[in-house]
Amino acid sequence: MKFKKKIKSGVKDIRNEKNLTQKELADLVGVSRQTIHYIEKGDYNPSLILAFKIADVLKTPVNSLFYRESIIKDEINSLSIGESKQITDKLSMDRDRFESLSEIREEDLLNKFSRKELQKIAKELEYSFDELFEAD
Amino acid sequence: MNEKTEDFEGKINKKYKSKVLLKTNLGLLALFGSIFVFYLVFLFLESQLMLLWIILIITTVIIPYTIINIATNWYLNRYIDYFSYHFEKDKIVITHGVLTKIKATIPYSRIQNINIVNGVFDRMYDIYTVKVETAGSSAAAQAAQSGVARPEGYIPGLKNPEIVEKKINEMITEYAGIPSGLEDKVFKPEELAFDNFISYILSKMREGDLLKTSISELRNEKGITIAELAEKVGVPAQTIQFLEEGRYSPSLLLAYKIAEALSCKIEDLFEIS
Repeated sequence: MKFKKKIKSGVKDIRNEKNLTQKELADLVGVSRQTIHYIEKGDYNPSLILAFKIADVLKTPVNSLFYRESIIKDEINSLSIGESKQITDKLSMDRDRFESLSEIREEDLLNKFSRKELQKIAKELEYSFDELFEAD
Repeated sequence: MNEKTEDFEGKINKKYKSKVLLKTNLGLLALFGSIFVFYLVFLFLESQLMLLWIILIITTVIIPYTIINIATNWYLNRYIDYFSYHFEKDKIVITHGVLTKIKATIPYSRIQNINIVNGVFDRMYDIYTVKVETAGSSAAAQAAQSGVARPEGYIPGLKNPEIVEKKINEMITEYAGIPSGLEDKVFKPEELAFDNFISYILSKMREGDLLKTSISELRNEKGITIAELAEKVGVPAQTIQFLEEGRYSPSLLLAYKIAEALSCKIEDLFEIS
């Protein structure tokens, strides 16, 4: 079984590091400010050429500007301690075990967690099973 | 994408005709009624000229009234026949017009607000008008000139305006987020003839920053065929072929998937020249 992944964008952090506003970056790259906004939010899949241009302008490799991250790992990492405690209490699961999901390798996934457990976790994270995992 | 579910109309309700006819007739009655009463007064005063008055009444009251009524009726029938609206991926398309045909397209991204209007006459027939207002320049310019802004999207005679409103809102949230024309397109096999054409045009347009790719080299190194790679990545084989030929510029996501499938870095795969 595999994790479903999404593209996460580090554009905002690097742009802030370089002290550029969205508008300035947009002008340098030659797109609208809105496009930069969507790219930073991460719910927009830019064209490769645009990604390269941004990388070029920010003098940063594409890999560190955009990276693929499993949705479930990202979700678990973004949980606050309280939220993650709430979920583990509800599932009566050990917290360390639950949080180990954010570092687990794909190969080990089914050895350490049963499909049923994963389904329950997905539900608690407000996702469907298919949105987080896919068959090989 | 002409969606026509049971409760989704796509057309004007026939009651719209009755409503406009009633409205015009009230206006006409007021106008011709007063002329008629005016004649009647004279008829009583000068009753010898009876025949003249009758001819006058027929030519200036009854005939114009009938003609206007028939014309309005004809106009409305055509208007209702021709009026249609439907929702596409990124826009609403409204077709209307009796003598001059107008096809208005409103991109969701430009919609500012949706007003549902239910006037006095509308209420008699239980119908509504949906007005879709945009940040459009023409409407705004018109408003500046005349003080009255006519919305770009004007859909009269609706039984269930909420459905249209809901539909528009759904489409706005679903599609307006993506700047039009920038979304990634992975072509389906049946679109490939078109893809071929488009990719040619796009590659011509993008000649400024051509993408050089070494997919085929890396693929051959690994001993994977185009078809196998396509399956791994989940796109039609032709997409990979076009990519290798440099005729199609991929989205970042597709590029990542290919890099993953060939276990290499994006920078190894593509290079902007």
